[in-house]
Amino acid sequence: MNILNIAWKGIKKDFRDTKTLFFMLAFPIILILVLGTALSNTFTTSLPVDDLHVLYKDITKGGSFQQFITVAERSGIHFKKVTDKMDGKREVKQSTYDGYVEVTEKGVQLYVNNSNSIKGNILQGMLSAYVDKYNIASEIMKADPEKLVAAFTTGDQRDFIKETSLNPNKQPGSMDYYAIVITTMIVLYGAMSASSLIVSERVRRTADRLIAAPVRKSEIFIGKVLGSLVSNGLSVILVILFSKLLFNANWGNHLGLVFIVLLTEVVLAVSIGIGVSFLTKTNTAPQVIIMLFIQLSSFFGGAYFKIENPEGIFKFITDLSPLTWMNSAMTKIIYANDFAAAIPAISINLIGAFLFLLVAIISLQRREGL
Amino acid sequence: MNVLEIKNLTKKFADFIAVDNMSLSVAEGEIFGFLGANGAGKSTTINMIAGLLRSNDGAISILGKNTAKHSRFTKMNLGMVPQDLAIYEDMTAYENVKFFAGLYGLRGAELHDRVVEALEFVGLQDKHKSYPNSFSGGMKRRLNIACAIAHRPKLIIMDEPTVGIDPQSRNYILTSVKKLNEMGCTIIYTSHYMEEVEEICSRIAIIDHGKIIAEGTKEQLKSIITNTKDLWIEVKTSEKVNIQSIKEIPGVEAVSVDENFIKINSDTGVNNLNKIIEHFINSQIEIRSVQEKAPNLETVFLTLTGRNLRDQ
Repeated sequence: MNILNIAWKGIKKDFRDTKTLFFMLAFPIILILVLGTALSNTFTTSLPVDDLHVLYKDITKGGSFQQFITVAERSGIHFKKVTDKMDGKREVKQSTYDGYVEVTEKGVQLYVNNSNSIKGNILQGMLSAYVDKYNIASEIMKADPEKLVAAFTTGDQRDFIKETSLNPNKQPGSMDYYAIVITTMIVLYGAMSASSLIVSERVRRTADRLIAAPVRKSEIFIGKVLGSLVSNGLSVILVILFSKLLFNANWGNHLGLVFIVLLTEVVLAVSIGIGVSFLTKTNTAPQVIIMLFIQLSSFFGGAYFKIENPEGIFKFITDLSPLTWMNSAMTKIIYANDFAAAIPAISINLIGAFLFLLVAIISLQRREGL
Repeated sequence: MNVLEIKNLTKKFADFIAVDNMSLSVAEGEIFGFLGANGAGKSTTINMIAGLLRSNDGAISILGKNTAKHSRFTKMNLGMVPQDLAIYEDMTAYENVKFFAGLYGLRGAELHDRVVEALEFVGLQDKHKSYPNSFSGGMKRRLNIACAIAHRPKLIIMDEPTVGIDPQSRNYILTSVKKLNEMGCTIIYTSHYMEEVEEICSRIAIIDHGKIIAEGTKEQLKSIITNTKDLWIEVKTSEKVNIQSIKEIPGVEAVSVDENFIKINSDTGVNNLNKIIEHFINSQIEIRSVQEKAPNLETVFLTLTGRNLRDQ
């Protein structure tokens, strides 16, 4: 009963303190809104491309390239025949046109300003498709000319480029992304308040009164941890609800599993806080150490900006952040229904929590008072 | 019956012996004064009685039960009023008392009644919904007491309960201590204010260097020093007073300075008044008055420890 008494006092204190409440609820919501809005372009999956204007010179006898021009017009690529007074290459250099194509019996030559640009890529792709088609036609002509018409009229062969996205509707938007990463980051911030669970009793001298009461140290410890877990757990639920209702953030169809994974992170955060508070001698040192740890974890865990495909030492560093594992697990659960992704995150959280709690329990047993 | 019994209690911090083989007993119904200068071992002893510190040797019994073996029983019967305020600023007065009383197994209506009773006792019933940050120092001290008495302990330890408060609040607390004692509580009381101890304590122990050097009623303690007299010499300014050279005058046992009063504790068998006066004249210190006082507890303390109770 004393455990519940102590836990309930902690929960009341957390939800009464406006500073704590702001930090636990308003701060993540504001952060999701600010980062989600400011960095929304980073998460756009489609890039608008204007119409393309291309000069061409066709000195072939056949009309195949003219057919290509007709089809390309439908895709917004406008071809204009170069005149004798014009220098196609110079026009491209001066960016008057997006490209210049020379079609001769020997082949097709394309001039663009930057072959890596999106427009350059589009032109290259379309012309490659055209050349492939031309080559196929040549081969058919050599083998069986009568079948040439049949080969090119059956089915829909008019598209030179066909783009297919994998899971086009299952990509997190900026709000979705920041709802996840800010929530996991805020959960980790729970270590800050947890670091003062016992320290604050010492500072306020109430630790003496608690120890003088017929309460075991283990009851005080469990009550404190339990209260912190409930407070942080409740605030996580509220952040999820707010982000879902206010920003329509996608938390997927398996909210129960998502919450369980987050709850194990709450356990880790609270354990880190308490463990570090017992490892240090001064009252302020735990806050400094934990703040540094959270900031680095957040930075390398992708809380501020998305880190995609890190390599080498950078990957090693990002893997050290518990948020990397959390965010990866959450994304896979929400967007790929990959429940197995929860296992590494839960394991890391619980093993870490066990180690820090062990440190705290051993220290508490050794010391006199709290 | 002894409510508290301490036998051969020792506490060491590394090589420093804070409490040295101390033995003590406090009978039921006593207000027991515990006097000692800072670092004498008073707080260490109190902390061991309350279970905040473990002893290296010896035993403590409360109501006949060993505190180490029957921790729950002894703690249930103990109320602790720590020197530093031990209250939650973010909880109302009612919630503070309720939380701590709840740790003693009180529940429901009984808990509520006891909380109300404790708040009424310390005169904070009208402020039960207020937060301590709106309280004066005296009110906080009273709340500190309420948190320790709601579970009706048999033994209450009050460690400097009147530090830093106004005279009105101090009187209120002293009256409350007497009232608690009349209600059957045994009280261990420590204070730096000798007049408080003289006023309310039925028996007093003086502790120095971790040992009890004197113990008894006020009268018994004063009788220890019948061979000494107190001279209070009022001077214009005490800046030039050299305590060491006064101590060198034959018969002088202890000297302390309290603003413009030089308090000299001297052997009654030695007629040294002339030499003392002469010393002041030679030192060009203007004397305003000379009084001989009957020895009080402060004199006893000064004589036995060589230190003033408020010396740091």
